[in-house]
Amino acid sequence: MIIETERLTKRYGTRRGIDEVTLAVAPGEIHGFLGPNGAGKTTTIRTLLGHLRPTSGTARVFGLDAHADPVAIHRRLGYLPGEFGLYDRLTGAQTADYFARLHGGVDTAYRDALIARLGIDPGRRFRELSKGNKQKIGLLIAFQHRPGLLILDEPTSGLDPLVQQEFQALLREARDEGRTVFLSSHVLSEVEAVCDRVTLIRDGRIVRTGKVAELRDLAHHQVLLRFADTVPVEAFQGLPGVSDVEVVDHTLRMRVSGPMTPVVRAAAGYELLDFESREPGLEETFLRAYETAS
Amino acid sequence: MTTVAMRAWRDARRGLITLLILLAGLVFAVLGGVASAYPTVEARTEIARLATTLGPAATGMTGPAVGVETMGGYVQWKYGTVLVVIAAVWAIIALTGTIAGKALELLAAVPLSRRRIALATTGGLAGVLTVVCAAASAGAWLGGQVFARLPGDGISVGMAAGLGAWLWVMALAFGGLASALAPWFGRAVSAWIAGVVLVGGLVAVGYRTLSPALDAIAPLTPWAWTHDHLPLAGRLDWASLLWPLLAGVVLLGVGVESFARRDLGARVGLPRVRMPAFGLGGVAGRTFAERFPTAVAWGSGLGVLGFVLAATSESMARQFAGSPALADTFERIFPDFDVSTAGGFLQLLVQLLFVLAGFAAVGLVTGWGADEETGRLEMLLATPVSRAGLVLRGGIGLLGAVTVMTALAAAGVGLGAVAAGSTDVFQPVAGTAVLGLFTAACAGVGVAVGGITRMSTAGTVAGAVVVLTYLIDLVAPALRLPDWVHGLALTAHLGKPMVGDWDPVGVTVCVVLAVGGVLAGAAGLSRRDLSH
Ligand SMILES: Nc1ncnc2c1ncn2[C@@H]1O[C@H](COP(=O)(O)OP(=O)(O)O)[C@@H](O)[C@H]1O
Ligand SMILES: [Mg+2]
Repeated sequence: MIIETERLTKRYGTRRGIDEVTLAVAPGEIHGFLGPNGAGKTTTIRTLLGHLRPTSGTARVFGLDAHADPVAIHRRLGYLPGEFGLYDRLTGAQTADYFARLHGGVDTAYRDALIARLGIDPGRRFRELSKGNKQKIGLLIAFQHRPGLLILDEPTSGLDPLVQQEFQALLREARDEGRTVFLSSHVLSEVEAVCDRVTLIRDGRIVRTGKVAELRDLAHHQVLLRFADTVPVEAFQGLPGVSDVEVVDHTLRMRVSGPMTPVVRAAAGYELLDFESREPGLEETFLRAYETAS
Repeated sequence: MTTVAMRAWRDARRGLITLLILLAGLVFAVLGGVASAYPTVEARTEIARLATTLGPAATGMTGPAVGVETMGGYVQWKYGTVLVVIAAVWAIIALTGTIAGKALELLAAVPLSRRRIALATTGGLAGVLTVVCAAASAGAWLGGQVFARLPGDGISVGMAAGLGAWLWVMALAFGGLASALAPWFGRAVSAWIAGVVLVGGLVAVGYRTLSPALDAIAPLTPWAWTHDHLPLAGRLDWASLLWPLLAGVVLLGVGVESFARRDLGARVGLPRVRMPAFGLGGVAGRTFAERFPTAVAWGSGLGVLGFVLAATSESMARQFAGSPALADTFERIFPDFDVSTAGGFLQLLVQLLFVLAGFAAVGLVTGWGADEETGRLEMLLATPVSRAGLVLRGGIGLLGAVTVMTALAAAGVGLGAVAAGSTDVFQPVAGTAVLGLFTAACAGVGVAVGGITRMSTAGTVAGAVVVLTYLIDLVAPALRLPDWVHGLALTAHLGKPMVGDWDPVGVTVCVVLAVGGVLAGAAGLSRRDLSH
């Protein structure tokens, strides 16, 4: 395992940070770390970096104890913090140069390619950059030395969709070269798009870990049908993937997981006033994950 | 509007308390000190005679010697300008911080126009200043009640009020200048200019008799306008306060209007030398490069002041030569000084230089400490740089910045001494090194505490060291406190290096604080969580 934590716990004074987090990231995978704000993603990541000392439990990266030997880990690591600052007066190119030296040099051709692909203007001073453009400099610094492990804390915040796509391509290339990516996010669709495996965290505790395909089972739709006449409940109750059917006046509510086709087919036979389908938020997905876990 | 003003108050809270203690406490304490140090009519007459015969040459940085035989008059003469400088420096820092910093952040957060935000924050700070000056008045009045023992020692309500009003208008004028410049030049440059105008004006008015150049610029400064307002000496010139008040109000108005009309964060393209980027090779180089502008700002400020003082030394020596009685008096008060040299004159004013060098340390370690708050540390410590290595190399970079500052100060002193045709140029130049030592020591203490607790505390801690050192060195002899108390001030152990008299104890202590501080900071940072 590239990352391995064992009942990792971090308290801030008496306040909860994370609670007995046990986590494993395999070599060569893109591992998503998904959870709502305040769940403990940043706390976990900063403990992996050695920036926070664990209250109890252990964290190992590359088989090395994160607290005991951080420098050896950092040599092979690229890190994008959730929040960071750089040198206001330095340009992107100068900043990248500086961090390259701290890492003992980089492949400049690869760096130039990164600059081009992320659409970075290397001549602008950091102070003058927008939030998204600052984020790109952070990504450049994390990627430029081709680290064996990338730890990225909510990397896409502030990036426009085009850059997000390029970023995801970079992640896949890194994986194809056998490198490992651990990335946190609070956006389900983003994790779904790029990750191989995913760990869910909520209120400082791991909810579950699995293939992204399994996560797809969690994904479901809340469907609402409004009929002109009486509601034909029986026509929907037995359909595959349909559960939690509920009728209020002329409206039928249900939860649909998996393909929508059976529901649409069944509905086609009736006089419909309205058809509404909604993807639930992360919170609801988590509630569901809890239910299936317990 | 009121919430924004309240916010300005809240942000100024720490400064408010410090300033209250500094000003009101200082006034009260030195009144008591004078009463106990010169308890008899004879002692008072003697000190008053000395103060008047010394003339402006030796006492240029103090006020005019009027009514020095009274308790209030002595304090007015010896410490009046110090009080103004303290209040004005606070006003400059607070107002530039507001106009070029806080108010900008508020713009995004509060649905008010730029003008209203600038007005409210400025008004809030003027309110803070009012409280502080009122407290200084109260301190003076109370000191009069408690300590007055000889005829003429009493301090009337009018005199006390005159002191507070003087501090208020002077701080407003210099702070106003800084705030008028801030929207155009940014925070640091405006504070620097206003600081130079403040101290430069004091020097110009104090030494105007010595140099035609100084005499020419003297009338331009509020120091000259209020020259005859000596409230604690019982001489009140209320009308003269109108001029700095007017200047302050106009300049603050300019500041508010400029803030209202200019684009966020836009700067005037100063004719600044675009240096090639340096310090990309490692942590030491980067720290040095980041702190370089601060080092140059303080170094050139010290250099300008050192130049003026050293250059003036010759004319002062001539005065002494022309009046054997004066030279004789002087020798009796300052037996160890030979003011015919640039070094001797500088040593006389070394307290002021120490304060400036100390604040340079505050500026340097504040910048160093920003790494943690701004999230740079989070990035730097994810590279193969260890925490101890980061602090140690940062310490080397800081030391480099202190060296630059010291070299500039020394260059100013040296040029001044040469310009004055001083007999000894080497000693005052070498003596300037003591300023660098003091800066390094204060910075070392800041780095130690910053490394152990949180890097952003470094500036505050260094500032506390500087202010305490200054206060102890100032007040302990005046209050006749035990020697060990005075001994707590680092500056009491530094000898008279400007005239070639070095004290190895002080030098050693400085080196230990500087190096030991960095080592302690390195050890401390290695043992704690990084904060965000
Ligand atoms: N420095 C801190 N001091 C106190 N509590 C903190 C600190 N940092 C995070 N927390 C708390 O720890 C919990 C997890 O936070 P965090 O790891 O930042 O979550 P996430 O990154 O998933 O949004 C939250 O409840 C947060 O309030
Ligand atoms: Mg986070």
